[in-house]
Amino acid sequence: MDKISPAAVADLRALLGDRVLTEPGALAAYGRDATPLFRHAPDVVVQPLTTEEVAGVMRIATRHRVPVTTRGAGTNLCAATVPLSGGIVLSTMRMTALLEVSREEMLTVCQPGVTAGALNRAAATEGLIYVPDPGSKEASTIGGNVATCAGGLRGLKYGVTRQYVLGLEAVLPDGEVIRTGGRLVKDVAGYDLTRLLVGSEGTLAVITEITMALVPNPAAARYGVAYFESMTDASVAVRDIVASGPAPATLEFMDAVCIAAVEDFAHLGLRLDAGALLLFGDDGEPDAVDRSVARMAEVCAGRATHIELAASVAAAEDLLAARRCNLPALARSGSMTILEDVTVPRPKLAEMVAFVAATAEKHGVRIGTFGHAGDGNLHPTAVVDADDPAATAAAVAAFDDIFRHAVDLGGTITGEHGVGAAKLPYLEHRLGPEQMALLRRIKGAFDPLGLLNPGKLGS
Amino acid sequence: MSEDTTSAVSKNVFSKDLLDACISCGFCLPACPTYALTGQEQSSPRGRITLMRMLETGELPADDSTLAEESSLCLGCRACETVCPAGVQYGHLLEEWRDEQWSGSKRPWIVRPLLLVANRKWVLRLLGLARRSARKRETSTQTTLMLGCFERALFPSVSRNLAALDPTLAVDPDQGCCGALHAHNGDLEQGRDLARALGERLPGTIVTTSGGCAAHLADVIGRDRVVEASEWLLKQNTDTAKTERPLRVGLQDSCHLRNGLGVWQEPRELLGRTATYVELPSAGSCCGAAGTYALVRKKESKAILAKKIAEIEAADLDLVIAVNPGCLRQLQTGLRKSKSRTKAVHIVDYLRGRQP
Ligand SMILES: Cc1cc2nc3c(=O)[nH]c(=O)nc-3n(C[C@H](O)[C@H](O)[C@H](O)COP(=O)(O)OP(=O)(O)OC[C@H]3O[C@@H](n4cnc5c(N)ncnc54)[C@H](O)[C@@H]3O)c2cc1C
Ligand code: SF4
Ligand code: SF4
Repeated sequence: MDKISPAAVADLRALLGDRVLTEPGALAAYGRDATPLFRHAPDVVVQPLTTEEVAGVMRIATRHRVPVTTRGAGTNLCAATVPLSGGIVLSTMRMTALLEVSREEMLTVCQPGVTAGALNRAAATEGLIYVPDPGSKEASTIGGNVATCAGGLRGLKYGVTRQYVLGLEAVLPDGEVIRTGGRLVKDVAGYDLTRLLVGSEGTLAVITEITMALVPNPAAARYGVAYFESMTDASVAVRDIVASGPAPATLEFMDAVCIAAVEDFAHLGLRLDAGALLLFGDDGEPDAVDRSVARMAEVCAGRATHIELAASVAAAEDLLAARRCNLPALARSGSMTILEDVTVPRPKLAEMVAFVAATAEKHGVRIGTFGHAGDGNLHPTAVVDADDPAATAAAVAAFDDIFRHAVDLGGTITGEHGVGAAKLPYLEHRLGPEQMALLRRIKGAFDPLGLLNPGKLGS
Repeated sequence: MSEDTTSAVSKNVFSKDLLDACISCGFCLPACPTYALTGQEQSSPRGRITLMRMLETGELPADDSTLAEESSLCLGCRACETVCPAGVQYGHLLEEWRDEQWSGSKRPWIVRPLLLVANRKWVLRLLGLARRSARKRETSTQTTLMLGCFERALFPSVSRNLAALDPTLAVDPDQGCCGALHAHNGDLEQGRDLARALGERLPGTIVTTSGGCAAHLADVIGRDRVVEASEWLLKQNTDTAKTERPLRVGLQDSCHLRNGLGVWQEPRELLGRTATYVELPSAGSCCGAAGTYALVRKKESKAILAKKIAEIEAADLDLVIAVNPGCLRQLQTGLRKSKSRTKAVHIVDYLRGRQP
């Protein structure tokens, strides 16, 4: 232990007993998340159960000047939970109380360690759903979803986590507890601190309770698949679909590399000869859904080589599950995957897709692309041999070009995965020096000692 | 990710491609029963793979206490494999890990005598004779009943009843252990040797009444030569009937049968035909028996069992059916202690009892 004094550890033990881990093996396990290439072990891991315990941990951290990195399930893809300066990792995985699901007010109140999947199942018992629906929902936590402003497979119609967070309870670095927002649909008293904390990646406060809006479970949902010769054709179809009527819930696409990887894992009978697959779907009242899906199929018909509608709910679930496992399925074909998250205005999607393909070729990198096409959000994923440093360097160089081009097209370097440590070097290119300075001042207002997740946002 | 394993010192404990397959996505966390117990990353599949990587690179010394603790706390149930989209073969990784971690004098003392017994064919044969497991029988088929080593001593009726349910099955008492016990307890080579020897001794198809043995044997001698009893009986269309008062019957899956071989529908189908089948909420997850786990990790095994028994009680079952002798013993112990009205029975014994 170099960063933390024995006195600080003793204080933590006095507060939490055996929920304080210091064995080197345990610390190593907390030294990484789902991001490749980034690793650093903390000096101590704590597992609080309540807001009061979190506040106690923060007071100890402040007293002893120890950095604190909050960690949910550690499924983030931007090294946001890698404790670059050591110190304390505060795990929320035992804060799993689901305090309330209210049908009447259409909301839920829960602790941050509840998984999105568990919340969804609880909501379902009241005929409601938790909208954000990220691909990682069975594993990732609500606290993590809020702190990264996660998106999902129905963002086009429903938006992302930001739109659903009504109120938060959070602990500031000095141990003070604040409550922002609440159960109100309307509330403009003060700056919108709730939205400031959404996506703050554990750099401003530790979120200890979330009040989240739920929506009624739609009566029906239908999905279909259209195949295209190229990702460009699929992108044009996406643009035309959105232009032709109300936004549907789901427009997800993947290229040939991804189709092959997913088929190899899920065996759904996907067409391996296609250049692109577009998964389209909508939910709502049954006849409206039928009309919407028929319209999308019709718009695709001009360009698509094949169109298939899912015959059953089970078949639709299979398609969605296949899309959710896109990244790990890709990982089967190489020893390391580096995944990115650029987002562009939807009309520029076709251009961005073409640029990614050209860049991959230029740098000699194997890149598979999938993404939330309806949101203009692409996940180009490089599959490289980890033992070959030149290959990793080539992938990093390719992504450098891709980030810059996305920003030039009016897009962003990350749509939903966050900045963390991985994207921090590119942030200024997106925000400019004035905003970067303002970010630092905001960070300073919350966390004057710079203890929360140093080396990430606001640093 | 393999950046963890590319360090100059590689200990060659693990097959590189197996270790490289994990992308640390964390999808396996909610599936793992030991992670549910502790909420600590190092007791999760992903955390354990991180530990394996640190062992492989030498970043953690071989005698590290977390390595020792976690290699033993893991149930080896392989529930993590079924949800892993990257296709990580966790069961194989664990075998390689224990091969290192539990080799020779590092093996938990309590499992050593078990391995010694299972190594000796003549002891098993004597056990079978004393306890009257199925007798030697030659048939015209190329299909032989496997006599589980501890099953012969603990549940001899199972092999007798399977031989009675299907008269075409040959029985050869001169057979040894399949080696699953060894492979899961730090002696991979012996485990594989025993499986190969069994495969040579019993040519053709081998029918087994233990899910755990089925998975190990299939892994070594090939899936095409191994059939688990419920798979076999479903195929044979064995004549069984419903009782007048429909029994409420639940099932405890065998982890390796379900997660390793993908066999879980078959026993449900057989039970559905003869009883009111009730799916227990955690039927598919480990009961805490897990081979030698109930001996090595008494406390955790009991904690997992307690939840299971509570579920069985809540379901108000007449019978809970097992497809693996280890699970059967574990459930019987738990039900007896809680004075439950529910009885635990092996699927073969149950079906034999349903014959008209
Ligand atoms: C295969 C795969 C698919 C994915 N699909 C999607 C997807 O479709 N959409 C998407 O948006 N993301 C996706 N992700 C990324 C990831 O799952 C999300 O970012 C998720 O929201 C992270 O949740 P977590 O609980 O794992 O948080 P962690 O990874 O533990 O933490 C993420 C960040 O949140 C902070 N944090 C966590 N809890 C708190 C808290 N209580 N208070 C303050 N800060 C906190 C951490 O400090 C960190 O900065 C995917 C990841 C994988 C591996
Ligand atoms: S689900 Fe598979 S790839 Fe993902 S962390 Fe677990 S073992 Fe690794
Ligand atoms: S085998 Fe079972 S106990 Fe071990 S890591 Fe996998 S799910 Fe957890």
